Amino acid sequence: MSDPLIGLVLLLVLFAMLALGLWVALALAAVALVAMLAFSNAPAGLVMATTFWGHSHSWSLAALPLFILMGEILLRSRLSKDMFTGLAPWLGGLPGRLLHVNVLGCAIFAAVSGSSAATAATIGRMSVPELDARGYPQSLVIGTLAGSATLGLLIPPSIILIVYGVATEQSIARLFVAGILPGLMLVVLFALYVAVRAWLNPALIPAAPARLPMRDRLAASRALIPVALLILGVIGSIYTGLASPTDAAALGVVLSVILAFSTGGFSWALLGDALMSAARTSCMIALILLGAAFLSVAMGFTGLPRNLAAWIGAMGLSPYALLAVLTLFFIVLGCFLDGISVVVLTTSIILPMIQAVGIDPLWFGIYLVIVVEMSQITPPVGFNLFVIQGLTGLDILKIAKAAFPFFLLLLLGVVLITAFPGIVTSLPDAMG
Amino acid sequence: MTIPGPGAGDPARPPAIRRFLDGLYRGAGILAAACIAGLCLLISAQILLNAGTRLGLPLPPTIPSYADFAGYGLACATFLALPWTLRTGGHVRVGLVTQRLPARAAFVAELIALTLAATMVAYALTYTVLLAEESHRFGDTSPGIVPIPLWLPQSVMVLGLALLLVALIDSLVGTWRARAPVLARTAEE
Repeated sequence: MSDPLIGLVLLLVLFAMLALGLWVALALAAVALVAMLAFSNAPAGLVMATTFWGHSHSWSLAALPLFILMGEILLRSRLSKDMFTGLAPWLGGLPGRLLHVNVLGCAIFAAVSGSSAATAATIGRMSVPELDARGYPQSLVIGTLAGSATLGLLIPPSIILIVYGVATEQSIARLFVAGILPGLMLVVLFALYVAVRAWLNPALIPAAPARLPMRDRLAASRALIPVALLILGVIGSIYTGLASPTDAAALGVVLSVILAFSTGGFSWALLGDALMSAARTSCMIALILLGAAFLSVAMGFTGLPRNLAAWIGAMGLSPYALLAVLTLFFIVLGCFLDGISVVVLTTSIILPMIQAVGIDPLWFGIYLVIVVEMSQITPPVGFNLFVIQGLTGLDILKIAKAAFPFFLLLLLGVVLITAFPGIVTSLPDAMG
Repeated sequence: MTIPGPGAGDPARPPAIRRFLDGLYRGAGILAAACIAGLCLLISAQILLNAGTRLGLPLPPTIPSYADFAGYGLACATFLALPWTLRTGGHVRVGLVTQRLPARAAFVAELIALTLAATMVAYALTYTVLLAEESHRFGDTSPGIVPIPLWLPQSVMVLGLALLLVALIDSLVGTWRARAPVLARTAEE
């Protein structure tokens, strides 16, 4: 069989197993097994066992359960309640007013949590009822929430960047730092969009609440200061090289526990819940990583990605043309698969191709995360849409429609980092 | 043996074997959570030691092999949480097609998916047992200051996969008896 045909057969086997409802991690491992048994002479079972063992105990992967745990602790603390009261007094005067609470609240929570669904649920739970009660237009309330919550994936600590870093052997610290500026750029794009909409149609936005004096505003946001310090501590220690992401994660967990207990409303039982929840999520992701690692190894034995890369290289495609094709491919794939599965599939098969045309794998990681963010808000399968559906009971297509402008803004973000790669690379380069 | 139809077995009073298996999955899940708490405390202790020695306190500079221990803690957490994550719907799967199938077809698809999954896990289990046996026979240890026999953490991997196999067979039997999928479908995508 020729290489493209083998690739096509394996892809069909994978999709058939996924459609049947086989768990993603097991489907990846099964395809790898089929590939090794049918198209190589290597001892498949032993390779599988050593890959599973070898990829399950790395030091850098230990950051995964810890950052998940940090988010789980803080979403059970008072932080989510304080976010609205703390941000609202400052944003009432801006065009678009309290809609910016969604954008900024999501950005702040994204900086303590690595998950987009958790960000949507935590911020949405308090902001949607408050904004509805004040008469903000529903489509903008839901759209800003769905769009901004995707920042959870990009702004460090980011679970999906840990997955990408571990799977491609990139430095997780550099990936985290590379995500800072693009994350801020998206925050600005989202806020500008809200402001322009409000400016074009002032009747859309309810009147400003009475302005509080500075002292009252400071008092209302006092609760946010410890969180701000936590964020600065975690990201700062990674950026300055004082701590590895795993160290920073452990410290972040300890500080979050102290913060959650000292602000009240937290208990040992909630800490237990957070631990169990973190064990579950981390187990799910780690298993997918093991399946993907075995797929990468199996693909190495068959030589498919190498040949595919050579084939693409021989076509003389420009990096821009390749990226345009890949973006389209990922958007379609992201309609049906979750973000982590998209990332691990990419790293097993597409990365050699990327490197063959001279694209920086660090930059590609950030690009991939923004594209995956887009897939969080596209139907029929988008995690954020599900979360907001659970929160509001609205129809999923209606939510997707409200989120569509943010899909376009994310696409604009992809175009911007492609035109100006320095947005991604300048901070990690400054780390030295 | 007759196979009880749907509705067999009173859900209000689960039989002893049901309680035992659920306790087993949950117990392993609690151990996994404890591993995560443990590795967090271990790394935090190391950070405190670092800070302490920088301040000139007479402390040992490092916990020996702490990175190895943290890694094995992570592996134990991952494998021990497998069955509980499966039973509570934590493992990601694509529900797009199966959710739209008529009940009969969804039932058959679930049986095939569970059988395939059990086969895969049984295959992986066989070879991880071989791997752990080999590590034991050759006396392989971790490369750090404290030589940890590799078969110890590898046995936890074997245990986790074995419990996952039990949970898959349990779910297969449950699905067959109920004539419909029984696993929770909370995190499907």
